[in-house]
Amino acid sequence: MEIVVCVKPVPEAETRLRVSADGTRLDPEGVKFVLAGYDESAVEQALLLKESIAGSRVHAISFGPAPRTEEVLRASIALGCDQATWIEAPTPVPDDPVLAARALARAIASAPHDLVLCGKQAGDDESAIVATALGELLGVPVFGYVVDLKWDPGRSRLTFHRVMESGQESWESPLPCVIGLQQAWNDPRTARLPMILKSRKAPITKATMPDPAGNSRSVPAKFELPVARTGAKLIEYKSPEEAALKLVRILREDAKVFP
Amino acid sequence: MTSRIVVVGEVHHDHLIEATLEAIGKGRELAGSEGVVGFVGGSHAETAASEFARFGIGEVRWARDGVLDDRAAGRFAPTIATVADLEKASLILVGGTNFGRDLAGHLAIRWNAGTATGVTDVRTDGESLTVRRPVFGGRATETRRLEGPRAVLALRPHAFAVAPESVVPPHILPVPTAEVPSAWGGTKCLGTEVVPAGSGPALTDAAIVVSGGRGVRAPENFHLVEELAASLGAAVGASRAVTDAGWRPATFQVGQTGKSVSPQLYIAVGISGAIQHIVGMVSSRVIVAINSDPTAPIFKVADYGIVGDLFQITPALTSEIRKVRGL
Repeated sequence: MEIVVCVKPVPEAETRLRVSADGTRLDPEGVKFVLAGYDESAVEQALLLKESIAGSRVHAISFGPAPRTEEVLRASIALGCDQATWIEAPTPVPDDPVLAARALARAIASAPHDLVLCGKQAGDDESAIVATALGELLGVPVFGYVVDLKWDPGRSRLTFHRVMESGQESWESPLPCVIGLQQAWNDPRTARLPMILKSRKAPITKATMPDPAGNSRSVPAKFELPVARTGAKLIEYKSPEEAALKLVRILREDAKVFP
Repeated sequence: MTSRIVVVGEVHHDHLIEATLEAIGKGRELAGSEGVVGFVGGSHAETAASEFARFGIGEVRWARDGVLDDRAAGRFAPTIATVADLEKASLILVGGTNFGRDLAGHLAIRWNAGTATGVTDVRTDGESLTVRRPVFGGRATETRRLEGPRAVLALRPHAFAVAPESVVPPHILPVPTAEVPSAWGGTKCLGTEVVPAGSGPALTDAAIVVSGGRGVRAPENFHLVEELAASLGAAVGASRAVTDAGWRPATFQVGQTGKSVSPQLYIAVGISGAIQHIVGMVSSRVIVAINSDPTAPIFKVADYGIVGDLFQITPALTSEIRKVRGL
């Protein structure tokens, strides 16, 4: 099985966010970028499938600027991906998930691909657009919010569950197919030193970004951090009953969260 | 640019879901009742189609086709794009559930539309359309300008008010289903394991969430959290400490590695407020914390706090809420 896994560098969860000088985006200065959480989970899924299906290969593809995009691709190779393609984005990054999907789709279309795996969304922009846009661009079925992904070789079908608001749906799909993964692994692999050393010298294929002209776009106009919360208004009380009474009154009359 | 708007209905148990009613409300605000056309798909959507009329939208297009009975946005996108073109719409609104966000991604390509998901505010000055949306788990907010003649917005659930009732005569027109790409042919939904009734609303869909943390001390005490939730008709959540310890399944977890929620009211019981929990709930409208430790970081993000023993405060709160709600 030819497996493509799309990966994205995002700021580390604990990063202190700062606004760029022009006020439109996150200031990347001094930010440590890592492989997005759900994308890391997709890499683990890709490698598990590779290990269980003889003759499989995993190809990591990423769209983004230097140096962070190259770094997450090398991290993916260190985890066990066989090949990597980098579509370099100019700086400042044209920060638009649909544009990213168009860039990824072009690179995927020109490479062998049976299964395309993405994280269901990235922890920075949280758009959850890339997977579905990829499916549409590649003309193949696409499913997001997927867990329990399995390959049934006898019937040549993927089987999986989708975590939807109303319950878990059970699905099957033929290949080729795009999957937006929501799986949380208990014990995902970590890169071992020999693989990390090898990944530093591994070749990375470069691809170019498609011309965005003629397409609708979404353009970042402003990036704001919340006004620092002043901290909770603490309720003073003499008995638990009084605390409850005061809180319920505030929630009904001031916050108006229930009648 | 908002000449005419298509609001896509999502149907659950034959009815429009609340996120759709919120999208109807926003659509009416932007284009007036006359400027909005409803869309529903599926073989059992007659009730849902007529529900639009209760909320002021008489014009509804119904693609009555079993192929749209499953929540697979890729099967809906070709028909919705066709309907939007026929209606000369420049904007498609959908409730930002998983289905709605999927649909936005499909239509971004199929309808060549500027697209945003998780939208909490929509502004238009006739020419341009700008939206606001929380990013980084609610730790920042971005404003985006959508450029081009068409746009699709998936509205974050609970961010907008449900449309006020305003009964108009229904005018439901059947529309044919546009061809789904042939590659979808072998896809099949084998069934849905529905969240059992009586377990309260789904965590990511609830208007009120009550979560318990390590402060609850033992699984046999978790009923305090559940009773408070039940008194409010709220969903039950948990911190990672609770799900890691196996007191509750991982599906209850709110936070970076669990679910992100943004209810009207979030009550954190015995949760200290590690950053990995905070990013999953900080965009809630009102946050209440109950904790015995006055220095717990949860009090920094909460709007209201009670410093005290949760084993005394929580039952008192449950009983007070039951009283005012006449339960």
